[in-house]
Amino acid sequence: MLVPTDNSRRWSNWIGPLALLGPAGLWLLLLLVMPTLVIFELSLVPNIRPGDVVNPSGLDNYFLVFAPIYLQVIGRSLFFATSTMIICLLVGFPVAYWIALLSPKRWRNLLLLGFVLPLWTSSLLRSYAWITILRRTGVLNSILTAIGLPELQLLNDWPAVLIGMSYSFLPYMVLILYAALEKLDLRLLEASADLGANPIQSFWKITVPQTSQGIAAGGLLVFITSLGDFVNPELLGGASSMTAARLIYNQFLGATQNWGFGSALSMVIILAVSLAIALLIKYGDPTPQA
Amino acid sequence: MPPTDFDTSVAVGGKPIPTTRRGFLQASAAALAGATVSSCGWTLANVRPAAPTSSGDATKLYIYTWAGYTDNDLLTSFRQQTGIEVIADVFDSNEAMLAKVQAGGGAAYSIIYPSDYMVIKMVERGLLQELDLSRIEGINQLFENYKNPAYDPNNLHSIPVSWGTTGLIYNSRSLGTKPEDWHYLWEHQQQLERQITLLNDPREVMGATLKMLGYSINSTDPQQIREAYERLVQLKPAIASFTSDAWRSQILTGDLKIAMGYSVDASELMEEDPNLSYLIPRSGASLWTDTLVIPKTAPNPDAAYAWINFMLQPSVASEITKRLSFATANKVAFKQLPTEIQDDLTLFPSQEILEKCESIAPVSLEINQLYDRYWTRLTSG
Repeated sequence: MLVPTDNSRRWSNWIGPLALLGPAGLWLLLLLVMPTLVIFELSLVPNIRPGDVVNPSGLDNYFLVFAPIYLQVIGRSLFFATSTMIICLLVGFPVAYWIALLSPKRWRNLLLLGFVLPLWTSSLLRSYAWITILRRTGVLNSILTAIGLPELQLLNDWPAVLIGMSYSFLPYMVLILYAALEKLDLRLLEASADLGANPIQSFWKITVPQTSQGIAAGGLLVFITSLGDFVNPELLGGASSMTAARLIYNQFLGATQNWGFGSALSMVIILAVSLAIALLIKYGDPTPQA
Repeated sequence: MPPTDFDTSVAVGGKPIPTTRRGFLQASAAALAGATVSSCGWTLANVRPAAPTSSGDATKLYIYTWAGYTDNDLLTSFRQQTGIEVIADVFDSNEAMLAKVQAGGGAAYSIIYPSDYMVIKMVERGLLQELDLSRIEGINQLFENYKNPAYDPNNLHSIPVSWGTTGLIYNSRSLGTKPEDWHYLWEHQQQLERQITLLNDPREVMGATLKMLGYSINSTDPQQIREAYERLVQLKPAIASFTSDAWRSQILTGDLKIAMGYSVDASELMEEDPNLSYLIPRSGASLWTDTLVIPKTAPNPDAAYAWINFMLQPSVASEITKRLSFATANKVAFKQLPTEIQDDLTLFPSQEILEKCESIAPVSLEINQLYDRYWTRLTSG
């Protein structure tokens, strides 16, 4: 242990990290930690409405979260988020694999750009576009009838939500998987082929374990963003599409204005997501890079 | 409550997406903007950040209004008359507006456009200035029923600017028989499968069902509210979605046969498609009024009075009724309208029908939560 003896020395030790971390730290403190504390405090007040005095007095709001109707709503959110994550993984992996390993090198940046391009438009616009495609007399059904297939009733039901959400979040998944696959050591694949593994064995024993962190990170990112998605379920989901995000919205900006309950719901979701991230960090496969 | 026009915040390449004024998507994240952490006992309403730079500037008027309630012509002609520049921000639900104002995000506005029941709530919470009626010209030009409205006796805090009803918009070509009442939806449920939309608004939807059952739109009887909920559950297979704006394009394309909506939206769509008709159901509907109020925090009350007086000018009110197709509460302005607009029963229904309509009034917290629980169950089940 080295104890600094003069002040200037102590300062110079601190100034570097402070200058580097200060702005981001302040940002986190002001825009993440403080609001979360406000939400936490509000969540302890039963039946609070704007204008009321904040006087924390119990866990009633949290008990309410676990009433069957609200659990059903949270369950729907989890279903949408989990399914979206799986779809994005199944669709995104081959795409990322192809771009990272098989496509001509000079096209790669352009291909990635093309994949990210949809993110440049508002997510609201993209949902509206899906309405146009999926509605009963829309683009998809026109094509289906033209080639003699029966019409599909996708809009205003859960399939439309999954389509909209997977489309919205696929680019994130592809980008992260691309980053992971790009670093894949191709010599390992050659070695495994030399030793007699067929491509499928090589894929499961080399490629997947080598990119497991990318898979986990991409999956988690898609899961978390889908869990909070508001636009797709609302516009595409039809009459039975209440999600946790909408429920929270209703508590704050709807007629009830039960800010306490809305805060408790938010805290439960923040907690669940934090827990998922913590577990990933602790038990996520820390494959040592060669 | 009326319509709208275009939501510029999602405009891309000059092609804005139309939304109704009740669309939810623009909700302001500012709800919590004014709140800070301290020890217990702080009040959300008390935490008010300083008003934006506009505050002291007498040549600027910030107004907080529904989308589609102002247009460039209106703002320009106000500027020519008074030299005051108007900056209009829009909200899409009374509740979102209230949340922002209560959290302190409304301090820049000298004029706000709440609806009737929201005027009651805002007065209760001490958010509104009492109007100095001697500074307002033309208040005697209002329709008789707006001179002493139930939501604000003697117009002490609010001046009505437009009104309308909530009914059914239907495509007369795709329906066999003509609907006359809310019952129609239940009776023709089979033919209408997933081709109906209802508003994304618990009080409006439950209120309409209560009306159909012969109860008050503001029922506080848990038994009646439960009955309304059960009827809506029966109707569920026919409902495509609960939406306050997405129905507009889908009824034009023929994907929907009937949609619940505001009279103003209906009147706008009927101009586009002559097959569409608007119905105020026989058992009654909700009647709403949008008003002008001056919040206590108004930085520029003089300009606010100027705006109220400007909006009360018959020529201004009748022009805006023509341009933006909403019903004026100004009798003199009404008389200046061309007869075809005066006779437009969508905008100006007959007295006989209006008598069956009822305005949504605030209910207690417990009853509101009851509505909310049924609504959650309805939109989740």
